[in-house]
Amino acid sequence: MTEAEQYICIGCPIGCPLRLEHEGDKIIEISGHDCDRGAKYAKQEFTEPRRDFSTTVAISGARWNRLPVKVNRQIHKDRVMEGARIIHELQVEAPVKLGQVLIKNVFGEEGIDVVACRTMDRVIS
Amino acid sequence: MSLKWKTINIQKPGKKFNILGHMEQAYDVVVIGGGPGGMGAALGARESGVARVLILDRESEPGGILLQCIHSGFGLHYFKEQLTGPEYAERFLNKVIDDNVKIMAGSYVSGIAVDSDGTKQVRVLSEDHGQVIVKTRAVVLSMGCRERTRGAIRIPGTRPSGVLTAGLAQKFVNMMGMLPGKRIAILGSGDIGLIMARRLMLEGCEVVGVFEYLPYSNGLTRNVVQCLEDFGIPLHLSTTVAYIHGRDRVERITVAPVEKDLKPDLSQARDIQCDTLLLSIGLIPENELSQSLGIRLDLITGGPWVSSTLETSMPGVFACGNVLHVHDLVDYVTRESLLAGRFAGEWAQGVRRPVDNIRLIPGDNVRYCVPHSLSTEREHTIYMRCKTVMQPCKIRVGNLMEKKLRFVVPAEMIMLKIKPHLLDKFHGDTLRIDILPEDA
Repeated sequence: MTEAEQYICIGCPIGCPLRLEHEGDKIIEISGHDCDRGAKYAKQEFTEPRRDFSTTVAISGARWNRLPVKVNRQIHKDRVMEGARIIHELQVEAPVKLGQVLIKNVFGEEGIDVVACRTMDRVIS
Repeated sequence: MSLKWKTINIQKPGKKFNILGHMEQAYDVVVIGGGPGGMGAALGARESGVARVLILDRESEPGGILLQCIHSGFGLHYFKEQLTGPEYAERFLNKVIDDNVKIMAGSYVSGIAVDSDGTKQVRVLSEDHGQVIVKTRAVVLSMGCRERTRGAIRIPGTRPSGVLTAGLAQKFVNMMGMLPGKRIAILGSGDIGLIMARRLMLEGCEVVGVFEYLPYSNGLTRNVVQCLEDFGIPLHLSTTVAYIHGRDRVERITVAPVEKDLKPDLSQARDIQCDTLLLSIGLIPENELSQSLGIRLDLITGGPWVSSTLETSMPGVFACGNVLHVHDLVDYVTRESLLAGRFAGEWAQGVRRPVDNIRLIPGDNVRYCVPHSLSTEREHTIYMRCKTVMQPCKIRVGNLMEKKLRFVVPAEMIMLKIKPHLLDKFHGDTLRIDILPEDA
């Protein structure tokens, strides 16, 4: 049975409304796109929608109360909320260096780490 | 709080820099503002060959607004990779420190005076040194911009707490570790508003909706999709906030669809329960210092009027970044500020470029263009913004050139390169730029 998914292309500000028809996992037709980027985007969104993910964690002994962190690779869209919950539990202590790994293999998956997005020195209060 | 901060030294591992002894020192270029614009300008100045460059920043550490923009999407043009704001800032800060640029943080510039020989005296109120006068040959203004507030659009209603700008909420959440509220409504669909919608959802708040009075979103499509749709946050176009209710704290807001004249239609108004209203309704270049110098401003951009060397109407004072005009991407700020820094450095070394002899006039569907004038001897990049959506269309530059574009939207800056051989043949003193329908 043929089903259809609707997307809005993020390639440029025009934002073409895309329609992707598929039978199970098989893509039948992509329509609505004005250029190749639209077709590529619809395919990506259908097969594996990935997102950048960054948030903050609590830090003590630093100038600010929060340390910006990110997941070093794009993760599946459906995992964003789960990631937010896991990372939210984290408490770190200054000093922290840019790129320092704070959680290794965050989803139990090799190579997906949570890293610090900036250096934060220890502050003597 | 200030006592605690006093103990901080901005430092790179193994490299402490001492900022004492500034008072006696004279500089070639002093950059006001330590955000991406200021850091770019300092690097540009060093590239031009001057040795003594100083950045003054009023915050306790340089980096500017990038430090609170923890989402990724920065650096695609300049570093060819996606970085978060703090990463972009730290890369630049390291470059700046490695390049022997002096940085004075916690320092507010309260005025600039010009000596009869053209030397500038920058008056600084510094947390570490008290009031200091810094002498310099050239100045680069890069103070950035600030957000428009409730007063700018005069939303009727009471004046409870819980009404704040999206960027301030961003600083609360991402740096200070405080949430602005629990049930949040957002007025304006600028990128900061969209990004804060996602951010607050991730931090466990409920975002009841984003309201935009125009029929289209002002943010990038990418942000509408990834910040709103992914999280099921409704975007209400052609809708505005007509009233704010609540005595001490926001209790609810009245929203109403807007008619063609952009006035709210109160007969269709409805109430929405929330305890916080975030405003993402535009940015204004921060030019109080420029105004105190008597620098000529462009009423449309809100920034200084600049020549093709990014020099303001005051000789030896240059401007770049969001203080000049509000940019879409930090990468564009970096490019512009490197250029401004280079010209400021040249100026400090006594190089005087030929005076611009062509004035640029924004014509049909062009809101503004920067710089405001051109010279004929080199290539120029003009940044401009259109007034309304047009698709497809063409840009016409006087009778010199035409360029076809698939689309223009006000939210996206247009960049146009003009080659010197075109200007060679041009003998007028004004050049009009129009954006026209393709068949015009």
